[in-house]
Amino acid sequence: MPNPRQPLLSTEAIAKSYGPVVALRSVDLVVESGEIHALLGANGAGKSTFVKILSGVIHQDAGSVDINGNRVSFTVPKDATGAGVATVFQDPALIPDLSMDQNLTISGLHRTDIEPWLELMHLADLDFGLLARDVPLATRRLIDLARALALDPQLLMLDEITAALTPEQADLVFDVMRKWKRMNRSVLFISHRLGEVLSICDIATILRNGQDVANFSLDGVDEAELVSAMLGEELAAVAVSADSEASPLVTSVTEQSDVVLRGVDLHFREKVNGVTFDLRRGEILGVTALEGQGQDELFAMLSGDHRPTTGEIIVNGDPMSAKSPYDAIRKGLVLVPGDRQIALFPQRSVRENLAIPLYNRVARWLKLQSDEGELVDTAIQRLDIDTRAASQVQRLSGGNRQKVTIGRWLIEDFDVLLCFDPTRGIDIQTKAQIYDLLREVAANGAAVLLYSSELREIPIVCDRVLVMYDGEVVHEQPAATATEEVLLTAAHGLGAVKQ
Amino acid sequence: MTATTPTVGRQHRSMAWRRWVQRHGWTVGIWVLLLFLVVWYSTLIPRFGGFQTATIISGGTAWIFLGVAQAVVVIAGGLDLGVGGMLVLTSVTAAQLMDGQPLGMVVVIAIGIVIAAAILNGFVGWIITVSKVPDIVVTLGSLYIYQGLALMVLPKVGGGTNGSFRWMFTGSENGIGSNPWPSIVVIAIPVIIVAWWMGKTKSGLSLYAVGSDASAAFLSGVRAGRTKIVAFAVAGAFAALAGFSSVSISGVGNPTTEGGNLTLNSVAAIVIGGVALTGGIGSAIAVVPAALILFFFNPILSALGVDPNRAQVIQGVLIVFVMMIAGLLEWRRLRRS
Repeated sequence: MPNPRQPLLSTEAIAKSYGPVVALRSVDLVVESGEIHALLGANGAGKSTFVKILSGVIHQDAGSVDINGNRVSFTVPKDATGAGVATVFQDPALIPDLSMDQNLTISGLHRTDIEPWLELMHLADLDFGLLARDVPLATRRLIDLARALALDPQLLMLDEITAALTPEQADLVFDVMRKWKRMNRSVLFISHRLGEVLSICDIATILRNGQDVANFSLDGVDEAELVSAMLGEELAAVAVSADSEASPLVTSVTEQSDVVLRGVDLHFREKVNGVTFDLRRGEILGVTALEGQGQDELFAMLSGDHRPTTGEIIVNGDPMSAKSPYDAIRKGLVLVPGDRQIALFPQRSVRENLAIPLYNRVARWLKLQSDEGELVDTAIQRLDIDTRAASQVQRLSGGNRQKVTIGRWLIEDFDVLLCFDPTRGIDIQTKAQIYDLLREVAANGAAVLLYSSELREIPIVCDRVLVMYDGEVVHEQPAATATEEVLLTAAHGLGAVKQ
Repeated sequence: MTATTPTVGRQHRSMAWRRWVQRHGWTVGIWVLLLFLVVWYSTLIPRFGGFQTATIISGGTAWIFLGVAQAVVVIAGGLDLGVGGMLVLTSVTAAQLMDGQPLGMVVVIAIGIVIAAAILNGFVGWIITVSKVPDIVVTLGSLYIYQGLALMVLPKVGGGTNGSFRWMFTGSENGIGSNPWPSIVVIAIPVIIVAWWMGKTKSGLSLYAVGSDASAAFLSGVRAGRTKIVAFAVAGAFAALAGFSSVSISGVGNPTTEGGNLTLNSVAAIVIGGVALTGGIGSAIAVVPAALILFFFNPILSALGVDPNRAQVIQGVLIVFVMMIAGLLEWRRLRRS
């Protein structure tokens, strides 16, 4: 049998887990020479993990990668570039304290290597003496791209390169991609912007829950079809099984309830571009978005970690000007951060972690000893925290740790609980407990602002939902009727409707 | 068209000049401060000439080399408490081996010691990379080990070296002279080489890359572990040069010198020289005037008739004060951008 022509890249059954969390189950992907191939999937589908494996940042647990029919194994990024795979990562890879020239030297390049590409992207007059930190983010992305192109790879991987670019700059990047394709080179393109994907890509592979579930040509496909391919058909079944008592919440919040937190035209740098919302007593307001649409910065502003560039945060009728989270907490705004590592003191006990907010009240310092124990005991019982590993929080499971993070605020009074993706990577049973906890918090008169990347938990736990895209709220509706399809469509910046 | 070209050129030049000042402002400021101190000192003492200059420069040579050693490691995002111990170890080894040898043999021994010091300290960097134990812990260990090894090589003050070798580091065959030029040359050559390496070559820039943003460096294809080992090896070599300077001044090896104090001096020198303790920022060149300023302090204060105990207090205040100025400048820069 004659050997059939080998594809440029083919992967077989790539799998990767981080501890108990499975990022990739099994991914098969084939990229031919001279094609622009889209890799699509919802948040957490495994796109970034897959890109990291193909670029040598991490190594797969199982599965194989072939380039031009030769088995390759990458342990560091240099191996990947050596094999003809160059990547523009989501995070900029330029060294902030070095000049552009020096950054190129590090990659073994000279400015003459990237100048032809920079010219195509209208950056011919770039000042190579500037420190990378002084160059605007969008320009740095384009330089990252030019640097990857100058390595002359056969396969170029672009992970969300257009996220930081203006539409004009994005068009320039597409011109470069088309030129690249005419040179019979290939691109693996990852973007949340489906319009872009349809206009530039030839073929798409869809990832869902760490598996490749579909592969099709993009001729004649529209955005709605892409969204439903990303969601999959068994969606309804999964949504029901996610929580046995998964009935949409019957909301008791009315227009008459007090507004406890109001954001007025909030801006932060270029990340948040005019967010306005009301949060009422007893309400759980959901926020959902694709990654990097300004939700991180919004929560950072509300929790006192960043100061808004312009706009106002009004708490119980008073404008808040928080210099640090301490001020926000005093105002009654408490945060359950997305990163559980920073939320807790891992080497201290569960009891100490729960009691931390009490330490803040210096005036009650003398009283602390007497009532600490009682309050903490109540919290442990209410939260159903497994106390077998109570001497060090770091020995708890992810779900129990999250319960401690939320539980510590139950000990103190607060008005608004800011929760950033609290159920990410947590088992279903604990998820249900966290939902109950949030509802209880709201029923007791506080308000909850809940960012969730899991669309199906929005109707289960929220009263109302906001969808953010590109730093703005593009969609708002009662949560009970929010289907995953509507939310995902809005989250891609498509069909924005205010209900 | 031709009429506009010179304007553009001039504009470009003035921008480049402003940027150079912005980027090297700290270095320039430290050189100016040194110059000011020298002029001031010359008015404090009855006679200021070649002898005083030579004494200060040759006395400061070891501080400079040790400061550069520390700067290389700190710029790469590390810390080496062992450099002072390495100075003691290399100086007593030199004194032991070089005693009574002709110049040619002495030079061969010197080269051998530099290489051995680089390998030994590079091994320390390797241990840090592999074990992931923090630098400060491993190098605290290496400080004690070097100090102990020094006592095994030479149990008490002794040994010696060739007069011509002493001349190279001090400008005099007996360690005290009035010719500063040999010291200046012996400082300038290695410092300029290491500054060029760190600023212009791929392997040297990797030190800044790892210290500045380790994950971006990794994505750019820099190998962090290898870079750290190289940084520690270079630091070992510079500590050996500092050791030679020490032997050349005293003419003997002294295993009871406190390496820990020398290490702390090296940290003070890089802080004054504008190297960020968080890594990624600074230059070897700026460490030269900074180390000289630190060394200069004692002669100035004794010329002023200040009690040596009080001199230490003043030195401490100065270091904190300089750091506060650096912090203020950084804060202003961030606020502007």
